[in-house]
Formats: sequence, C-alpha cells, structure tokens
Amino acid sequence: MLQLKNVSKIYEGKVAYRALTDINLEIETGEFVAIMGPSGSGKTTLLNIISTIDEPTTGEVYIDGKNPHTLSKNKLAKFRRQELGFVFQDFNLLHTLTVEENIVLPLTLDGEKVKEMERKVKQIAEKLGISAILNKRTYEISGGQAQRTAIARAMIHDPKLLLADEPTGNLDSKASKDVMNMLAAINEREKTSLLMVTHDPQAASYADRVVFIRDGKLHSEIYRGESRQTFFQKIIDMLSLMGGDGNDLSSIRV
Amino acid sequence: MTFRQFVFNNVLRNKRLYVAYFLSSLFTVMVFFTFAMFAFHPALSGADIHFSALYGMSVAGGIIYVFSFFFVLYSMSSFLQSRKREFGLLMTLGASSRQIRRMVFLENMIIGFFATVGGILLGLIFAKLILLIAENVLIISETLYFYVPVLAIIITFVSFIVLFLCISFFVSVVLRTKKLTDLIKGNKKWKGEPKASFALGIIAALLLLAGYGVALYVKGMEVLFAMVPVIIVVVIGTYLLFTQLSVYVIRRLKGNRHLFFRKTNMLLFSDLAFRMKDNARTFFLVTIISTVAFSAIGTLYGFHSYLTRGIKDLNPFSYTYFSFIDDSDERIEKDVQRINAILQEENIKADMERIEMTYYHMEASDTPVLIVKASDYNRFARLNDEKEVSPDKNEAVVVNVSARMMGSSSGNSSLIDQPILLQNGVEIKPSETIESELLPEIKGYYIVHDDAFAELGDPLNSSSFFAFKVVEGEKESVMDAGRKMMEQTEYRAQAIDYMVYEIDKAYGPVLFIGLFIGIVFFVSAGSFLYFRLYSDLDDDKYKFQSITKIGLTVGELKKVVNRQTAILFFAPIIVALIHGAVALTALSRFFDYNITEEALFVLGGFAVIQIVYFFIAKLFYVKQIKETVYR
Ligand SMILES: Nc1ncnc2c1ncn2[C@@H]1O[C@H](COP(=O)(O)OP(=O)(O)O)[C@@H](O)[C@H]1O
Ligand SMILES: [Mg+2]
Repeated sequence: MLQLKNVSKIYEGKVAYRALTDINLEIETGEFVAIMGPSGSGKTTLLNIISTIDEPTTGEVYIDGKNPHTLSKNKLAKFRRQELGFVFQDFNLLHTLTVEENIVLPLTLDGEKVKEMERKVKQIAEKLGISAILNKRTYEISGGQAQRTAIARAMIHDPKLLLADEPTGNLDSKASKDVMNMLAAINEREKTSLLMVTHDPQAASYADRVVFIRDGKLHSEIYRGESRQTFFQKIIDMLSLMGGDGNDLSSIRV
Repeated sequence: MTFRQFVFNNVLRNKRLYVAYFLSSLFTVMVFFTFAMFAFHPALSGADIHFSALYGMSVAGGIIYVFSFFFVLYSMSSFLQSRKREFGLLMTLGASSRQIRRMVFLENMIIGFFATVGGILLGLIFAKLILLIAENVLIISETLYFYVPVLAIIITFVSFIVLFLCISFFVSVVLRTKKLTDLIKGNKKWKGEPKASFALGIIAALLLLAGYGVALYVKGMEVLFAMVPVIIVVVIGTYLLFTQLSVYVIRRLKGNRHLFFRKTNMLLFSDLAFRMKDNARTFFLVTIISTVAFSAIGTLYGFHSYLTRGIKDLNPFSYTYFSFIDDSDERIEKDVQRINAILQEENIKADMERIEMTYYHMEASDTPVLIVKASDYNRFARLNDEKEVSPDKNEAVVVNVSARMMGSSSGNSSLIDQPILLQNGVEIKPSETIESELLPEIKGYYIVHDDAFAELGDPLNSSSFFAFKVVEGEKESVMDAGRKMMEQTEYRAQAIDYMVYEIDKAYGPVLFIGLFIGIVFFVSAGSFLYFRLYSDLDDDKYKFQSITKIGLTVGELKKVVNRQTAILFFAPIIVALIHGAVALTALSRFFDYNITEEALFVLGGFAVIQIVYFFIAKLFYVKQIKETVYR
C-alpha cells in the first residue's frame, strides 16, 4: 500500500538541518500504524512527505505503486483530495462554513452531484454521530465534534490512505477515546489504511503497529498482540527506554 | 525597560502589522495637505476668484477632513482587530487594561505624528508633481506656481494632531468596554452574517429606481429642485442595497445548493457572506466617494466642453467678421482691410468668403427670417469642405444648427411648415431640413434657388458676414492675430482659437482644483478598497493553507481569489458608474446640452483605471497568498 525507500529530508536554510535520515517503511493495505517519537524527532516531517505536502530530499515514496512526487502540482492537488484523507491536530476546518459544508468541500471541488454529496454526508454523519450538528458553525461545536467533522471530511471520498497528525492532540481524554474508537472502527470496517502520528500512548495503543522514530531515524517498532492493555504497557516501556525526554506528553508542540 | 520603551520597541518590531495602518494615515494626511496647499494658494485668494469657488473649496476641504477622520478611524479599528489576540495575551500575562489602553494611545500618537510629518513632506513633492502635469495640460502655469505653504503646513499639522488625539482617546475608551475574553478569542470569533430583510431589500430597489426615475425625468431648472431629494433617496437606497439587498441575494445564492455546492462557489460565497458586514460598509463608502468623484469631474469636463466646444461648433471658421446692423459700408470695408493687414503682418494665409445676410418678414414669425441664395451658401460650404445644396426653383432648404447645440429644443422647427411667398406670386415650399453652422444664425434660415432669391424683393435689414479659413500660419501667430483683430474691430471680429484660449485661462485654476478633488476622492476610494482587501489577507492565507493541505490546485486558488477581489473592486464601482451616468444625464438636461461623449470619456476613463488597479492589486494579493501556501 505505502512504501518509503531511503527517504531523507534536509531543511535548507541558514543552517541546513537534517530532519529525516534513510527512512524505510512499508504499510499493508488495511493496516493501522502509529508513529511515535519525541518532539522534534521528525514525525510531522515524515507525515508531510507521505502526504505530498512536502518533498523528500532523497528517496522515494510509493502509494499503491505510484510515486506521487513525480506528479505536476495540479495533479498532485487532485491526487491528494481524491486518494488521501487528512486529519490534523488543529482540525483544519474553515470557520466560514458549516459542519456539513466542511465535510463536502473536497467533493464540491471535484464537481460531485449534489444528491450524491447529500447521501454521502448523511451516511458518514450517522456513522460518526454528528448528524445533529450538521448545520452548526465550527465555533459552536466541541473539540471532539470538530475532530469527528474533520474525520468525516477525510473519509467522505473513501480514500485509500488516511493520514492523521496528532488527531487527539487538542482533545480531552474522553473526546480522545471517542475519536480513536471511530478511527479504529473505520479502519476495521472500511479496510482503510491508516497512518497516525501521535504523542499519546493511549491513542497509539489502538494501532496494529507502533513505529518509533528518534532524531529522524527509525528506532524500533512493536506489534499489537491480543490485548490493548498490554500493548499500551509495552508502548510506555518503549518510550521510557528511548529515554531522556522521550515521553514528552507534557511538552508543548510547536 | 520602561513601559514607554516597550511601546516604542513594540511598534518597531511589529513593523509589518503597523505599516498598513501607517501608510493609510500617511496617505490621508498627504491628500489633505495637498488640497490645503492649493486652497490657500495666493493666486486663489485674490479678488478675481469667484466667491462660490471659494465656498465650494471650503466645503470640499471639510468633506476631505471628515472622510479623513472616518478613514483613519476605520483603518485603526481594522488594525486593532488584527491585534486583539496580542492584547488578550498581554492581559493574561498580567498587563492591566489601563496599561494596554496607554500602549494603544501612545502607539497611535507615535504613528499619527510620523504620518502627519511624512504626509506633509510627501504632499509637497506630490503638489510639485501635480503642478508639472497641470502646466502641460491646463493653461495655469503663470497663476498656480509652486510656493512654500506655511499656512497649509500649520493647518494640516494642527488638524491631524487633533484628529489623531481624538481617535486615540476614542479607541482607548472603546477598549475599556471590551471584555478580556473577547480580546483573547480575537478574530476567530464569528462576526455573524448581517441580518437582511426582504422588505428592506425591496425598499432599496424601489428607492434607487425612484431616484433614477426622477433624475432622468426632470428638465431644466427642475433639476436643481430635484437634486437634494434625489441625492438623499439614492444615498439611502445605496446603503440599503449593500446592507440588505446584497446580503439577501447572497443568502439566496447560498440557499441554492446546486449553485452553492458547485466547485469553488462554496468558498467564494461563504466568504462573501462572512465578510458582508465589513464589505457593505466599505462598498457604501466607496460607492458614494466614487460617485462624487465621477460627478464632479464629469460636471467640470462637461461644462468646459459646453463653453469651448460650444463655441468651436458654432464657429467652424478660424476668424469671422459679423457687422452690426447699422454699421456703415465704409466702416465694414475699413475693418476688413485691417483684418487683412493683421493677417499679412503675422504671415498667415487665409481664404475668405463674404455674404450679405438678408432678413425678410415672414407671416408666422415675429422676428425677421434669414433667407440666403444657394450660390452664397455653397461658397461657404466649399470654404469649409461641407456638402453643397441645390434646391429646385420652387423649393427651399431649412437650415438649423445641430441638435447637439440646442439640446431638445432644437432650432425653429416651424420653418419647415412655412411656404415663402415670392413677389411674382409663386409659393416656395420647404422640402428638407439640414444641420449646419456655416452661417451665424442660430434661429434657423432658408436656402433658396438663386432665381427665386431674385424675386424676394427688399429685405427688412441686412448685415455683412465674412469668414476666414487659415490655410497656413503658425499656431502662435494665428492666436495673436485673433486677439488683435478682435480688439481693433471692437469685437465685430471673432477668433475662435483666441476665444477658447481665454476661456481655458479663466477656468483653468477652477478646473484644475475640481479635477484634483475628484481624483483625490477616487484615489481615496481606491485606498479604502486596498485596505479592505488586505485586512482579509491573514484570514485568506489561513483559509487557503487549510484547503491546500487537503488538495487545491493553483488554478482553483486563483479562481477564488480573482472572483472575490473582482467583486470587491467592481461591485461598488459599477454602482458608482451607474449613479454617475444618471447624475451626468440630469446635468445635461439642466444645461440642455448633450454631454454624452464627455460623460462616456470620464466614466470610461475611471472604469479603465479601476480595471488596471484591480489587476495590479490582484497580482500582488495572489502572489502573497501563493507564497504562504506553496512554500
Ligand atoms: N520548515 C522547516 N524548516 C526548517 N526546519 C524545520 C522545518 N520544519 C521542521 N523543522 C525541523 O525539523 C525537525 C523535525 O520537525 P517535526 O517533523 O515537526 O518534528 P515532530 O513533529 O516530531 O515534533 C525539528 O527540529 C524542526 O525544528
Ligand atoms: Mg509534529
């Protein structure tokens, strides 16, 4: 499904900064992978490269066997909104639009039929439990509802790959749990491949596999067994093993 | 670090944020100062300038000041809007509300002071530049010279320091009443779509239609009486148009999902609705200011053309000599000799024709009517390369001056129904009407066949008319010769070029000041738009950044930005152009003189400037957004 080959990223600037070094990673269709690591370890950079928002300095990215980075700017934009789904920490919703309008935005840009859009919104809103707030403005809803709206928007066009950057970063624990349950359910039911960056061991424990990176390099990975509780414990252990400021649950993300 | 130092550094560090506010203040001061500089010009304070012109200028000065006030206030409030979060943060960090108010007050005074001084300096340069242009366009070089305007400097300085003081006080009072939470939420907060009522929308349409209807219906002096009520009705109608009707229309558009959910429409309309409150205010101001500019310039230009082109149209020849009724033949001969002598002196070659203009009694007319024979008329026609006429023996051609000159009450239309009775009993029927200004008779006259003319009998009275057409001669000497012959024949001779020159000279300064005011108003309208556009820049950057993450092509981005900028730039101007066209039509009805050409030229000129302005603004705006979005 997703393949990274020797991906490196160097930020050019007054001082060139090597954010990622030789990342090799493969994700199967329908797999749910979480990426963890200390703040500044390159998680967002990695996700941005996969999501084609940013380009790798060297190395290749294949999504379903195709390298999207070879596409033209315009084709890339269309690729992104047709093949990928995005969920962000700050929700990334437009506050001039209602919840429903935010959800259908990717479809309107592609010129989908109104009837079809309405059908899809209804369906997905029911699944995510946001049918009652469809006509509200984004500032009238809670963080959990906002993130579910963002998930609905990411899922409305049945993407092959759903990418999430700290989806629970701005939520309280109750809302985080709801959102993670939804993501896991979507992954289960729709067989959508899911790649999530997170600080939160609780959130990571919903994944099939957790990949740890540190200083821009792959550090290790652990697979989920039968029980989520033991998986959670293993993740905590790994984070403390990575040591130092490895567990930056409390650090402010910049 | 004292608080004052903190404030000072804050201004220096947040340069980008302050620059927009500073520039719009600077610009406002510059406009006011340049105006004051001309208003207090020694050449205009003399006795020869009309009292009404002075009065008009003080009114214009007052209007500029009031608009400056609102403009600075408006810039200030947008500026504060974008900094609410900063204040909120300062307050949560422990700054007292009093300290923040003091900071805003001090900041505003710093900016105000530099804007005032800078505006005056820039104004001096600007005025010099304008005079350079004016010298080449208008004949005012001797009168409106450049000077060091001590009075204008003092007045501008004091006025604007007072203005900034008022605004600073005003803003710190307003800030006191705002709650801390409001500040922290800052610009994220939904301003709310303004409410629109269908009834008020209909009223807006009705008011505008009624205003236009009356303005287009009235004629002559009625225009003066209708003016004030029509202006009031149209201003209210315009206000409602933008605050009610447009909001209502956008609502309806949003309600139509097939339209609203189509491609980029959703982004466009939702933003329009979101910004409608701010936009409505800007649109209204811009429309009114632009209408004033269009009407003022259109009026002056139309009036100028009424004066000069009217004369030019009525005088197709370079020089004419038209004797008074009781002038003796010797006097006429002497005058003509003198004219020829002057022409020779100035090295001018001119063709000449003469005619004895003979007036006859007609049954249906209380004044004598001019009748000329075809061969006489044709000599003049040949002199000016115009079409000759050849009426049959028992036919007459009626000549009227062109409709343009006479407006709707064109000439003496009854001539065509009047047969001419010859001495031999034959009746001559007028067969056709033509338009011509070859002979100086605005009431209309007949041309008859030479044979018929011989049977007319004795005229009631007659005068001699000479026309000279210059074939060769320097522009300067043609003018000088004109002045000389007008003086030496006691104004029986007329020289068109010299007369136009005299009019231009007399109206030059007034025309110039009027033009200047119009341009200032138009440019102010432009800067309002510019300010409105850029106060949304951060919102737009965020918006496009958000959507681009999900996937938005450059083409789609450009399309949305183009359309939203186009609406901002053209909605108010189109309304203003329509207002202006109606106002100028009413004006032409007042003078009874057709100024369609002048109106089209002025309105078209402004439209072109606006289009250019739109493209430039759009280019930079798109560039700024693209820089943020596609890093
Ligand atoms: N646009 C950029 N230019 C330069 N350096 C950057 C840029 N974005 C991120 N970095 C640097 O790259 C490193 C990794 O950043 P990031 O991927 O955001 O980390 P994480 O998401 O794991 O906290 C950080 O040290 C950061 O300072
Ligand atoms: Mg990150």
